[in-house]
Amino acid sequence: MKKFVSLILAAVLVMGVLSGCSGEEKKVLKVYNAGEYIDKSLLSKFEKENNCTVIYETFDSNESMYTKIMSGEKYDILVPSDYMIERLIKEDFLQPVDWSLITNKENLMDEVQNQSYDPGNVYSVPYFWGSVGILYDTTVVDEADIKEGWNLLKNTKYAGNIYMYDSERDSFMVALKALGYSMNTTNTEEIDKAYEWLVEQRDTMKPVYAGDDVIDNMISGNKAMAVVYSGDAAYIMSENPELSYLEPEQGTNIWYDAMVITKDCTETELAHKFIDFMLDEENALANTEEVGYSSPVKSAFEEMKTGTYAGICAYVVDTGYEKNEVFRYQEPETKKYFADLWTKVKAY
Amino acid sequence: MKYFRNLVKPYMVWSFVMIVVPLLLIVLYSVTTGGNSLVNIQFTLDNFAKIAEPIYLAVFIRSFKIGVITVLICFMMGYPLAYIISKFSEKVQSILILVVTIPMWINMLLRTYAWISLLSDNGIINSLLVSLGFEPVTMMYTDFAVAVGLVCDFLPFMVIPIHTSLSKIDKSLIEAAYDLGADRVQTFFRVVFKLSLPGVVNGVIMTFLLAISSFVIPKLLGGGQYMLIGNLIENQFISIGDWNFGSAISLLLAVVILFLIHLMKKIDPDETEED
Repeated sequence: MKKFVSLILAAVLVMGVLSGCSGEEKKVLKVYNAGEYIDKSLLSKFEKENNCTVIYETFDSNESMYTKIMSGEKYDILVPSDYMIERLIKEDFLQPVDWSLITNKENLMDEVQNQSYDPGNVYSVPYFWGSVGILYDTTVVDEADIKEGWNLLKNTKYAGNIYMYDSERDSFMVALKALGYSMNTTNTEEIDKAYEWLVEQRDTMKPVYAGDDVIDNMISGNKAMAVVYSGDAAYIMSENPELSYLEPEQGTNIWYDAMVITKDCTETELAHKFIDFMLDEENALANTEEVGYSSPVKSAFEEMKTGTYAGICAYVVDTGYEKNEVFRYQEPETKKYFADLWTKVKAY
Repeated sequence: MKYFRNLVKPYMVWSFVMIVVPLLLIVLYSVTTGGNSLVNIQFTLDNFAKIAEPIYLAVFIRSFKIGVITVLICFMMGYPLAYIISKFSEKVQSILILVVTIPMWINMLLRTYAWISLLSDNGIINSLLVSLGFEPVTMMYTDFAVAVGLVCDFLPFMVIPIHTSLSKIDKSLIEAAYDLGADRVQTFFRVVFKLSLPGVVNGVIMTFLLAISSFVIPKLLGGGQYMLIGNLIENQFISIGDWNFGSAISLLLAVVILFLIHLMKKIDPDETEED
């Protein structure tokens, strides 16, 4: 009998908890963003201003975000990268942004708008942007070797002294660019050559494929070189002044992460308010100061460039090289081809 | 008793939905192509053919190697530990077993991160070495680091079953061995060790299973290029999105594990007697 009573009590307790959730009047906004990619205090500020609850979740890569959405998880706002946005648009996951609700539109820089992944910014509002390059220790790496560009990563002088970025598209980008190909190639011969480049690099250089742990490791100067995003490079350089950042002339990946609203979103007004909130000059500055990535908001970008991050070259994205590219959507066959080879590179 | 038997039924439904159905889904995924949505699937055995490629076989071999190393170290450390614990009075024993399990109260990720700060190039151990005048040693992202992480995490799974077996041994059997003229070494190998075999078998199976299917520890301590079966499966599901191939590997791993358990159970005297 005792067990029966406690069972009922437990059931009542669970019911209480459940109804407690659904009984709330506050509006809820579900945001899905990359890890360590926001000034968290902005979230509570937004919640206070709009009397709502923000459920904030993070992912570690665009691919894992995509897998989660495909498994049926629903979010209002996502912050994916360019090529993933293109894919989400093609697969009809997003709803157009109502730009008349974005009063801070004027704050955006021209360079970050109207890019090939979403011409006219119908679906996306820029969040951060940057490049990919080599972060290197100026006390270890010889200045004369710098002009080798991406092939610096194959210079055996630095064997065992390298972090690669543990991401399929970025690693293949490095190899394809080093070989002088387009990083959006669909030519299997070129892709095979890039695969060989990566395998050979694994053999001769013994690189470590690292994720976000590269940040702490480079700050403490564990290795001489790392392939990193410019924003991480800027942050690391602000902590360790002996480092410098190289955007190779062979061209690199210029990327844009942007906020998009999903088709599942019912609180569209609140979602637009959130996007507008992130473009506010003061909020954008707080965000870029916290994260270290380059802001698409003019005033925040200038403030960081001349103030907090003065002299840190990685913060200023160099869009000058003509061989720079933006990642494009890959057809499923191409994607599968890359994925198989990438698995092999890592398993090698 | 009949009344209570009915109470099992909800659990049967639960385990069917949570265990059997996902397993069937994995089987279904592994023999089809057509992506993750199961809308337009076609049957194929390509996923299994793909595993036979030398690169993937190498991953299997590497995983089994690190699994065996982990088990061996766990056994060498775990058996003496369990043996010593079993020599104390019962009260002390329960406290000591508690002490063995204390690390498991801390989240596995935290424990692994603790190893990172100990082992990294500018970490605690290396700073100590340098201050003592030695050359720093690279330990992170090596077999050593992964093995240390695995052993540290899975040692309790070896100690506890062995201790349970040891503490169940009838003391009079040991006295009898002495009476019949066996010395301490003979008694240990001929009586105590043999009687503790069921615990050893369980401990070996547990640590081996955990070691070859783990993916967080090798990823954090071995780096992204350190690929074991667990990482291979995780990659297929999370970042590459090829659930079909991932399911095929999982299924094969499950079959291999079942086979190994069957082999191990043959050593276990309790089980073979029943046959």
